[in-house]
Amino acid sequence: MDALMILAQEGAGLTGNVGSGLAAIGYGLGAIGPGIGVGIVAGNAVQAMARQPEVAGMLRTNMFIGMALSEALALIGFVVFFLAG
Amino acid sequence: MDVILAFSCNPQEQPLCIPDSILELFELPVLFGSVNRTMVYIILAALVVVAALYFAYRKPRVVPTKFGLAVESMVDFVRNDIALGVIGPGGEKYGPYLLSLFMFILVGNFFGLTPFINFPIGSRMAIPGFLALVTYVIFVFVGFKKQGLAYLGETLWPPGVPVALRPLIGVIELVSIFIVRPFSLAVRLFANLVAGHTMLALLLGSGVYFVWTAANGDISFLKGFVVGPLWFVFGMAIFLLEILVLTLQAYIFTLLSAVYIESSLNPAH
Repeated sequence: MDALMILAQEGAGLTGNVGSGLAAIGYGLGAIGPGIGVGIVAGNAVQAMARQPEVAGMLRTNMFIGMALSEALALIGFVVFFLAG
Repeated sequence: MDVILAFSCNPQEQPLCIPDSILELFELPVLFGSVNRTMVYIILAALVVVAALYFAYRKPRVVPTKFGLAVESMVDFVRNDIALGVIGPGGEKYGPYLLSLFMFILVGNFFGLTPFINFPIGSRMAIPGFLALVTYVIFVFVGFKKQGLAYLGETLWPPGVPVALRPLIGVIELVSIFIVRPFSLAVRLFANLVAGHTMLALLLGSGVYFVWTAANGDISFLKGFVVGPLWFVFGMAIFLLEILVLTLQAYIFTLLSAVYIESSLNPAH
């Protein structure tokens, strides 16, 4: 916990506001899950395109829908970061 | 480029100018009374799009010029790959909307990389917010027009959902379709532009900062003139990445608009 507060103080930088440092840490933690999710979606879509290039167009559309859905969580985190910071 | 930003405040005190208030990003541009930078660039972007389309098609010819061919391939891409490819037959109707959306966002994004402009117009929340709102109105309107009131039922309770699960699914679908969709559409563009531009400004700015402080004698000559250019080169690599990201974001915004319109036209699949 102490380490977290030191990190938050360091992250607050010139503004000196610990809350904004904590918000930055929170956004970083919140971006882990969506990052993994987007990676899985894109990786599997590329694999599928390599296996069946003729359906690449349809796969690309579905890949972007899946990415959009999982990315939404990271975007909500981004907004909360602005609200808290 | 963003290097100008590094000189607009005193580098002895802070490497980059921190804006007075971060809320500036979420403010609506003032409509009457004062004209600000954002408004000028919105109009400039619209003019660039109109001019590009006008000059490409002013004199239709069998063998198009290089510029005509470039614009033609962009129009063809949006019409065939996005409008017809995603929405399916009947998608031509939405082609003009998607094309203007795509070109406006693309030109607006590239303003962020254009020297002496340096301002991606989507980095003010009002602009992607409004574009997402237009898409939202279109896909809800199209849904009601195509299916009548059944649109709500079909969307909130997809066929085949057990009766016991319906309230739960209804709430989830309501939030995800009517709230999260337009919201995430707008915030995705906004976040990518703000984050990308800030990163670029930081990298190029720290390159300048190192060289600047070394020239003033605050840090050793070697440190300043070796580390500074390295940061600058790294910033230039990110600059190239930004070109890719900006194009991709314009494409994703257009594609997701098309996908949302399609989901209102043909439910249940």
